[in-house]
Amino acid sequence: MLHLNGLGKRFGEQWILRDLNMQVDEGECVALLGTSGCGKSTALRLIAGLDRQDEGSIELDGEPLDSIPAERRRIAMVFQSYALFPHLSVRENLNLGLKIRGVSPAQRQQRIETVLDTVRLREMADRRPQQLSGGQRQRVALARALLRDPRVYLLDEPMSNLDAQLRDDLRPELRQLILQGTQPVLYVTHDQQEAMALANRIAVLKDGRIEQIGTPEELYKTPASQFVASFIGRPQINLLPVDKQLTIGIRPEDVGFDPEGMPCRLISREWQGASQLLLLDSPRGALRMLCAGDLSLSEPLHVSWLTSAEHRFDAGSGHRLAE
Amino acid sequence: MLFRRGLFAIGLGFLLLVGVVWGRPEQVQSVTILMPAPYADATASLVNRFNADNRGRIHLNVSRGPLETESISDLAISSLLLGSPPFDALLVDVTWLPKYVAAGWLEPLDPWFDTADEQGLVEGARLGNRVNGALYRWPLGADVGLLYWRTDLMADPPRTPDELTAVVGKLQQEGQAPQGFVWQARQYEGLSCDFVEMIQAFGGSWLNPVSGEPSLDSPAARQTATWMKGLISDGISPRAVTNYAESESLQAFKAGDAALMRNWPYAWAELQGDDSAVKGRIGVTTMVALPGQTPAATLGSWGLSMLRDTPHPSATAEAIRYLTSQDAQRERFLNQGYTPTAKALFQDPELVERSAVLPQLEQALDQAVPRPMSPLYAQMSDLLQRMLSAILTEDLDPDEGMAQAQASTLTLFRSAGGTA
Amino acid sequence: MNLLLLLPALLMIGLVFVWPMIRYGWLSFHANSVLTGLNPVPNGGANWIRLLDDQRFWQDALQTTRFAGVSVGLELLLALAIALLLDQRWRGRGVVRALALLPWALPTTMMALGWRWIFNTPYGPLERLNEFVGLGPLNLLSTPMWTWLVTVVADVWKTTPFIALLLLAGLQTIPKDLYSAFRLEGGRPIQALRCITLPLLMPYVLIALLFRGAQAFGVFDLIQVLTGGGPAGSTESVALYAYLNAMRFLDFGYSATAMLAGFLLLTSAMLILAMLLRLSGLMKPVQP
Repeated sequence: MLHLNGLGKRFGEQWILRDLNMQVDEGECVALLGTSGCGKSTALRLIAGLDRQDEGSIELDGEPLDSIPAERRRIAMVFQSYALFPHLSVRENLNLGLKIRGVSPAQRQQRIETVLDTVRLREMADRRPQQLSGGQRQRVALARALLRDPRVYLLDEPMSNLDAQLRDDLRPELRQLILQGTQPVLYVTHDQQEAMALANRIAVLKDGRIEQIGTPEELYKTPASQFVASFIGRPQINLLPVDKQLTIGIRPEDVGFDPEGMPCRLISREWQGASQLLLLDSPRGALRMLCAGDLSLSEPLHVSWLTSAEHRFDAGSGHRLAE
Repeated sequence: MLFRRGLFAIGLGFLLLVGVVWGRPEQVQSVTILMPAPYADATASLVNRFNADNRGRIHLNVSRGPLETESISDLAISSLLLGSPPFDALLVDVTWLPKYVAAGWLEPLDPWFDTADEQGLVEGARLGNRVNGALYRWPLGADVGLLYWRTDLMADPPRTPDELTAVVGKLQQEGQAPQGFVWQARQYEGLSCDFVEMIQAFGGSWLNPVSGEPSLDSPAARQTATWMKGLISDGISPRAVTNYAESESLQAFKAGDAALMRNWPYAWAELQGDDSAVKGRIGVTTMVALPGQTPAATLGSWGLSMLRDTPHPSATAEAIRYLTSQDAQRERFLNQGYTPTAKALFQDPELVERSAVLPQLEQALDQAVPRPMSPLYAQMSDLLQRMLSAILTEDLDPDEGMAQAQASTLTLFRSAGGTA
Repeated sequence: MNLLLLLPALLMIGLVFVWPMIRYGWLSFHANSVLTGLNPVPNGGANWIRLLDDQRFWQDALQTTRFAGVSVGLELLLALAIALLLDQRWRGRGVVRALALLPWALPTTMMALGWRWIFNTPYGPLERLNEFVGLGPLNLLSTPMWTWLVTVVADVWKTTPFIALLLLAGLQTIPKDLYSAFRLEGGRPIQALRCITLPLLMPYVLIALLFRGAQAFGVFDLIQVLTGGGPAGSTESVALYAYLNAMRFLDFGYSATAMLAGFLLLTSAMLILAMLLRLSGLMKPVQP
């Protein structure tokens, strides 16, 4: 179990991470979600021991990690760049760490052969990283992490260098290889879809602080702020100002046709097969709406939603207002 | 069509212009002489006067070359090799002359200078100007090796090798002049110059004066090398002297750290400067010699030589004569301290008053000895320098070293087809 | 079309390299000196036979090789240390980086004169210091061995910054993530030097080695000014010997032969070195 207590890091006067409190249980995967520069990668580097925090502490299974140097923390990290050693073959890349850690040659070979089968790279074992495809490199990086036999997995945007198709293909593999183990996993990403698909819980970070932490469902259904609401869920939520105090949010999928509803004009339409996204001009402003793909539209359109589907936010602070 | 007509007009204009220039009865002849920077500077006012006197007839130009002797040789040779050099005459070091003549670069000066002119020169300045009987160089200044001595440390300068070691040894024991006798033992041309003086002190010479064969393994030559080595091993000269050129020797002597110095006349003016610790306490003589042997003063000196390809030989000769005239010599002596070449000037009261050593200089010039006048001189000197340097800095036996120097000089001569 | 685009480069190489080489080759089979009135006269292989028998040339070749080997070796070691230091983050690094380049920017002749002054006995600062601490005069430039060392020191002082800069550029192409990954694999920083930095820097080391090796073998102005080849010819380089033959002795046929022989020796030495490196596996092409 990984425990972060009030973790903070600054460069000069500028805090880039602050008050990070979090617990990742055994076998749990927590995603750190946020835009670039929000401090999520910094958090990983602190946990790995590559950088030193300016405040707070890190505990693993009840034991503080702070005074243990990175090389002895037994934490595996998968980098966005994969960080494979370019002068070594796949096999040598996997071998290097084992050798440094003093694993016997026989055991080394056996473990490498096993992991090569696991990640289906046996044929590529003697190639250099630059002779591999992006997906193959990614799998080498995963294999190296597996061989580390770590107490925690840290994944830093592991799929952002891959194209969309490959990402979809790799997701189940990632789940099977790493997320089904017993170790806590921290997964850094800027892609809410990826976070929703893989993580048990998601922490949304904004300006170095946690905006909200919870299961994907909690974040979707009860976003704690306008920021979380617009970060989670696609197509993006509609934020409609009511007055100086109140903004309401209504998800496009909660908007429905209703002959009694507001009259709207259709501005544009994205057909996505099973569904279609309409952009409407309503008396309350621009409005996104999701409806069935086979629906034929006839103007004038009238739409409405259930009041219970509304998310109510303080217009000033953006915080969710109590029901 | 218009374009063609334009071209035609330009062509016609050009032809007319050429005709005008060609047709002029008297055209200004431009003469350019290359000199090392200090000489060029010392000649500037003379050049202006010459040009004023010859306005519309000759225009003289002195090219300011590099400071160092070897650099000016590199520059001259490079431009001569490329053909049609931008010079009509060169200031030439005495050792380059046979080489340049052999290369076919120089024009004899005999049509412009006769024996009467030569008679007017001091003894030492008559040497080193002729190759195979023809005059190829006219001296601009006289230059010979001298022995400088400290009048405050000794009543008279040493005249023999033994006297030299004795007086210096005694002074060193008394704690005066710790550097003793400073000379030039760095592996470069200066070492050959010193050798020429020292070998004559022991009654020998580099080349046999009769046969022209090298005689570097003669008893005198071996004695010379042994003596040179002994100077250093006995501490009469500091070990550092093996890396001394002229300027380092002068530095030591000027600081008052040495009793004797072998150097050229230019050092005199330097030693009389206000920054000199020995100002007014310096005497000048020639190198020591065994009793019965004539002391030698190695001939240095620069002279002007005319290039074979010059389009204006007479104008160039006129310029050479002007720059080397007695008036010019007087001016250069009074202004920059360059030693004159005209015999008459050494007795000139005005000049003697300026420099009291002029009579000693004339004496030294009477004993001037040129280095071998051979087109192979550069190789010969290089061989000798290396061998002497090995004798002085390594454990090489002087006899063996000189035998090797003799052998390699012979090989050089043989490969060149006979003697030099 | 491609050939056409290459043409300017080919012309350039032809002009500055191939043509002089052909010319040297041609000249090396001719007598061309003051003895022939500076006209080239074919003399078969006489120059080459003379060269084979010329102890001075071979001594110079040996001396030059030793000089190049030792200087470049020392330069690489020092430059690596400097580059590693300059690659770290510390206060004042920018200033030091600029200062470190100064020796490289200084003209060689000026630097050689400076060294000559420093080692001057007894008036140079070094000997004054020796005197002060009671060592007495060392006469460094009066002994072949020490003079040789002084030339090496001067060369190392002058060209180490260049190699350091080259290696620093190499260091900065190594992604920092590799070091992070290596640490998390359990490696200590000192092990990273051997496992990551050195192997990835090897292409840059080889470039420096070839470039500087060739340059050091052609050493001329430093020797010319600092020692003039002395004492006893112990510091003479092949280039200086070729220069003497051409510009002092006016023996252009033999000078061309010596120059060409030096070039051939250098090229074959480089090829042998490259082969050895290939065999040792250090030269695997690496693109970080």
